[in-house]
Amino acid sequence: MIRGLFLLWLGLAAVSARADIDLTGQLESEWAYGYEDDVAQKWDFKLTPELRSDLGEGIDLTVRLRARWDAEDRLEPGRPSQDSRATHNRRAFSGSRAELELREFYITTAIGEAFLTLGKQQVVWGKADGLKVLDVVNPQSFREFILDDFDESRIPLWTLNLEVPLQPGWEGGPQDLVAQILWVPDPTAHDIPQDGALYAFTTPRIVPRPPPGVPVRLNDAALPDSLVSDSDWGLRLSAFWAGWDLTLNYLYRYNDIPILFRQLTSQGVEVTPGFRRTHLAGGSFSNAFGNLTVRGELAYTSDVYLPTRNRLDADAVVPVSETATVLGLDWFGFTDTVLSLQIFHSALDDDHAGLYRKQHETSATFLLRRSFWNETLTAEALFIHATEEGDSLSRFKLSHDYSDALELWLGLDIFSGDRNGLFGQFDERDRLVAGLRYGF
Amino acid sequence: MNSLAVNLLLCAPLLGISLGAAAAELPSGDEIARRINARDDGQWVSRNLTMELTDRRGKTRVRNTRGFRRYYGEERRTVLFYLSPTNIKDTAFLTYDYPDESVDDDQWLYLPAARKVRRISASDRGDYFLGTDFTYEDIKLESKVSLVDYRRKTLGMEVVDGHETYLVESLPVSDAVARELGYSKVVSYVDTGIWMNRKGEYWDVAGNKLKTIHIKDIRQVDGIWTAHRLEVENHKTGHHTVFQFSDVDYEAEVDDALFSQQALRRGL
Repeated sequence: MIRGLFLLWLGLAAVSARADIDLTGQLESEWAYGYEDDVAQKWDFKLTPELRSDLGEGIDLTVRLRARWDAEDRLEPGRPSQDSRATHNRRAFSGSRAELELREFYITTAIGEAFLTLGKQQVVWGKADGLKVLDVVNPQSFREFILDDFDESRIPLWTLNLEVPLQPGWEGGPQDLVAQILWVPDPTAHDIPQDGALYAFTTPRIVPRPPPGVPVRLNDAALPDSLVSDSDWGLRLSAFWAGWDLTLNYLYRYNDIPILFRQLTSQGVEVTPGFRRTHLAGGSFSNAFGNLTVRGELAYTSDVYLPTRNRLDADAVVPVSETATVLGLDWFGFTDTVLSLQIFHSALDDDHAGLYRKQHETSATFLLRRSFWNETLTAEALFIHATEEGDSLSRFKLSHDYSDALELWLGLDIFSGDRNGLFGQFDERDRLVAGLRYGF
Repeated sequence: MNSLAVNLLLCAPLLGISLGAAAAELPSGDEIARRINARDDGQWVSRNLTMELTDRRGKTRVRNTRGFRRYYGEERRTVLFYLSPTNIKDTAFLTYDYPDESVDDDQWLYLPAARKVRRISASDRGDYFLGTDFTYEDIKLESKVSLVDYRRKTLGMEVVDGHETYLVESLPVSDAVARELGYSKVVSYVDTGIWMNRKGEYWDVAGNKLKTIHIKDIRQVDGIWTAHRLEVENHKTGHHTVFQFSDVDYEAEVDDALFSQQALRRGL
């Protein structure tokens, strides 16, 4: 497969050599040292060439590859099973340390007033930073939990993405009114690190613990596989109205975290990961008031299956519906400085007994970012705190644009709190990070 | 006091010119500002802009961009797309500038790393624009001036680059506006023939000389006077910025669709 992707790249480059072509890319290396357990978490090298070409007839092509080699092989030790990936959306591995992935491959073209993006791509919804309420069209790789950039951890999907401008139909109505229609015939779900990986989930909120002494058999996960009937569908209406950026969103999809259905057998417990349909309906808004920008998202999701500790429950999961909201405030009152606060709240439809989470849960993020030296030096501190479990993640980063082409950075990531919490489970994964990125 | 004013003072008795009469011949600061803003800058324009950013040690960064502007009545919409280098490519900036100066502008920034269009505060106008020595306000106004942020006074006349200019002192109307803009005083050198700034000197809110903008290579394109080179020297940091405009076109109609959040995401 690596050979195939490489040949594809050479072929595209050769074909495009005669056309209007833009070939750029980045070479990046990042080293992370876990100082709690004195282990190098990773030392990876990434090459991400990107080709853009005018194919004529108003059609543009974008291709982006990512070749990655990790000297440490602790984030995904060995060769990951890729059970969560559709066969046409898998990475190609060479040994256990090197991989190649087709990150993006799409054409864009105008069809009348509409705009079509067709192929493997990322579709980003929502206004929140670091917390995902509406940004769920694409699944995510949790290879580095949430420490990797979303642009890198978001898994692109094969998607038909059609944006159609609409007329409001009355004077003074919304401007920039656009309907976005998504057809996603790609059932790829989240990449969740397997046992033995450095950031494998241990919190019972996601991976419930079996009763002591009971043998557990884990069956393979089976992704939905019908091209049409198992496709995800999405619709977003966006507009600019009276100073507000507004969207209404709807997504009919499969959940991206495999549901661990339990079955009691004479040999013990059999667990079968599965996927179920959900409806997501919501919206977002943003506006600016003086030094302050206000943004928010709301999403109602049906049929969220959560693990329960109730031993009488037949399959050990409970279908619930969830309403998630996030409100963000960004303050620009100091020169070259952003102060950002986000409050995230998740509410279940009922107080289901036995769940590993509470009916109402709140998280908060606080970001302070300041740039210096004509934006060539940026200092950033980010705190994410989950109120109920009391666990948190603190991130500090200093990055320097040494030149047009070269960026250098140092970082520190600190997890703390209850081991049952989403962040506290990685309490021993605190790390120092150093990296560089060269653009060409 | 500038040299022309000193010469006038010294020579006035000999020439029999009364100072009052000389002052009366100078247009007021507000009149000059109105003339600047009345200057035709086209219904729309498209152009390339190369930014050269040089720090005090002489290290230069270069950004290539393509920008578009279009008027909708008195409302002005501007969009700027970054084309290179790779680490900033696809960044884009959109502004809706409303004629009612009591209404905040609407501004959006697309950052490709986040793949999101971010609403940004229009009160952030004194911040420097993406590493340059121009503020967001400087970028937004282009060659125009704000009629409500400053009180203006015409100080005299001076020759800049061989062109006669009016020397106009502008003081922010309040301390709050001064803090917002980052300037406590601006002295502009406005060409008497074409009503364009040829030079501007800026003082920070503490009263220290902050920066000097030198506008060069002003020539007509499609019958419209156009600045092709802007040089800024920041006296506090030693940083320099040069804006070099090329392929300026006032005739080809600019597509409405470019001034949208969708266009920011898609890029050029």
